[in-house]
Amino acid sequence: MNKIFTIAKKEFLDIFRDKRTLVRMILIPLVAFPVIIQLITTLQESQSEKQASEILKVGYVLNGQSEDMINRMKTDSLYEFIAYDDTVSLANAVDTKELNLGMCLSSSYDSDLSNGNQGKFSMFVRGADKEDYERFEKLLEQEKILIVNNRLSEMDKTPLFIEPLLIFKNDQSEMQEILAKYAGGILPYIFMAFLFMGAMLPAIDLFAGEKERGTIETLLTSPVNRLQILLGKMIVVVAFGLISALVALVGLFASINLLGDSNDVIMMAINEMLTPQLFVMLFILLIPLAIFFAGVMIPISVYARSFKEAQSILTPLNIVMVLPAMVGFVPGVELDYTTAFIPVVNVVLSTKMLLSGNFDFALLAITFITLIVLAAIAIFISMRQFGKESSILR
Amino acid sequence: MIKVNDLYKEYKLSKKQQKELGTNTTVAVPVNKINFECKPGRVFSLLGPNGAGKTTTLRMISTMLVPTSGNVEVCGLDTVKNANDVRRKIGFLTGSTGLYERLTANEFLKYFADLNDVSKADFEQRKNKYYDLLDMHDFANKKLGELSTGMKQKVNISRTMIHNPDVVVFDEPTSGLDVITAENIIKLIQDCRTEGKTVIFSSHIMTEVDLLCDDLAIIAKGNLLFNGTMDEFRANQVAPTLTGEFIRVVNESKN
Repeated sequence: MNKIFTIAKKEFLDIFRDKRTLVRMILIPLVAFPVIIQLITTLQESQSEKQASEILKVGYVLNGQSEDMINRMKTDSLYEFIAYDDTVSLANAVDTKELNLGMCLSSSYDSDLSNGNQGKFSMFVRGADKEDYERFEKLLEQEKILIVNNRLSEMDKTPLFIEPLLIFKNDQSEMQEILAKYAGGILPYIFMAFLFMGAMLPAIDLFAGEKERGTIETLLTSPVNRLQILLGKMIVVVAFGLISALVALVGLFASINLLGDSNDVIMMAINEMLTPQLFVMLFILLIPLAIFFAGVMIPISVYARSFKEAQSILTPLNIVMVLPAMVGFVPGVELDYTTAFIPVVNVVLSTKMLLSGNFDFALLAITFITLIVLAAIAIFISMRQFGKESSILR
Repeated sequence: MIKVNDLYKEYKLSKKQQKELGTNTTVAVPVNKINFECKPGRVFSLLGPNGAGKTTTLRMISTMLVPTSGNVEVCGLDTVKNANDVRRKIGFLTGSTGLYERLTANEFLKYFADLNDVSKADFEQRKNKYYDLLDMHDFANKKLGELSTGMKQKVNISRTMIHNPDVVVFDEPTSGLDVITAENIIKLIQDCRTEGKTVIFSSHIMTEVDLLCDDLAIIAKGNLLFNGTMDEFRANQVAPTLTGEFIRVVNESKN
């Protein structure tokens, strides 16, 4: 046991001095989310500010109809209405971005409305700038309400006449549950991706790297058996995977707390979710998963002749391993007696379940046992590969 | 003491390897039932052309490879059955042995001392001995990646000796090294002999063999061509130089 820790201690020291690995395993996961979230928030804010203050140019062709509707709309200072004589020039103006939007009333618009029919008009829009039309729709909605209310008052009816049901909806689910169902998938996806990435570099460095540097022979002629060497190195691979995942989560929660509104209901629910128990349970699930990941990476790294060769095989594998984590984004897929046996998927769904505050210990136990079995198989396969003369001295 | 008894090693050739070697045989035999003995206080040289099986033999002696048949005894211990005990008694050095470049010389030596269960007192005493002997104090706390090739080889020599092994195995230890660094290795081998250690080394450089060797074996294509003392080799010498005689013995085996 002592020898295992001697090897692990040395490998920790070695890796902690490798700036490249530290940046990828700790710094990037830590700052990735604050930077991304800050960037998205800033972009969104500046975009909405720009849109809200920008004056929309709307061209119109009256087609001999009354200008009443246009005059009502003109009172909104954020719109500029420009009259056109024909539809072709109106459409061209929208096409060349001279106008944001164009509207052309039908020749029977006024009579249709006064007869209680639908008033028709065509809109000229640019699909690429759909935000412009979405903004204008609000103005159209006001016009529609006005017409409906006028028609109702002609009939001596109030607006409630066309809203015959009044429903009071009482949502019994807690915000935590709703968040877990719809946004809970992102959390396991994040720690899964960083778990794999965090473990990958040490896995390559400690096996393929050691072969390439010519240090493996020295180690193999020291009085430690191969299982001890493997376990000593595996501890480090697993630990760095876990550290990386943990740091990514810390970065994510720090950015949510620092950049979000602490009085927001969602924020309060998120904070309520993040209990110490949740972290403990997550950690218990992540340890065998990290061993399983390490067990997939190590035999490949042992087989590879060089750091580069190992990296070229493991990088695409990252996608294959982490892809099942996407299942977390699919609403309705839950942890059951089938999904609990599928590695990676079971961790994602367990996390969602834990986040929602509902614990099914039988399913969690199946998940944990499945992962333990896989971790044991992974260690066995790694050991076989590490024991092969043809691989280790390749 | 090292005893090599009917040592045989074979490994399967992949289709790719068969193609590369231009052969239909599915098995390669780098070492073919060889026997020799290395005695304490003497330097044993293992000679042979490239691909003769020298490295494979030395790797089996130092427990890195397992023989297909036959066996090796190091200080009376079987290298397969008592691999860990054998490793405690062996120091292994090659010219291409790498170092952990992010560790300092001190950390590097401590790591291997710990793996070899060297006590703290013994570690300090041996470390200081080699630091003095090889003039290493100035770079003891520098990261190994920052050191010159010569300095690195000094660290490697200290690592080889830090657990005071009874048997020292050198696989082409001066290959690719400059004259001054190679001289350190030669000196180490001579010191080991003086201290009564068993030394086995493989080399291509006949001047080194001439200078250091007490006993020697020549192998080619895995077969033992000569096994005896240096005096016996010289006594039977036909060619005018040692190098010439070595080439003659190897060529004769091809006929």
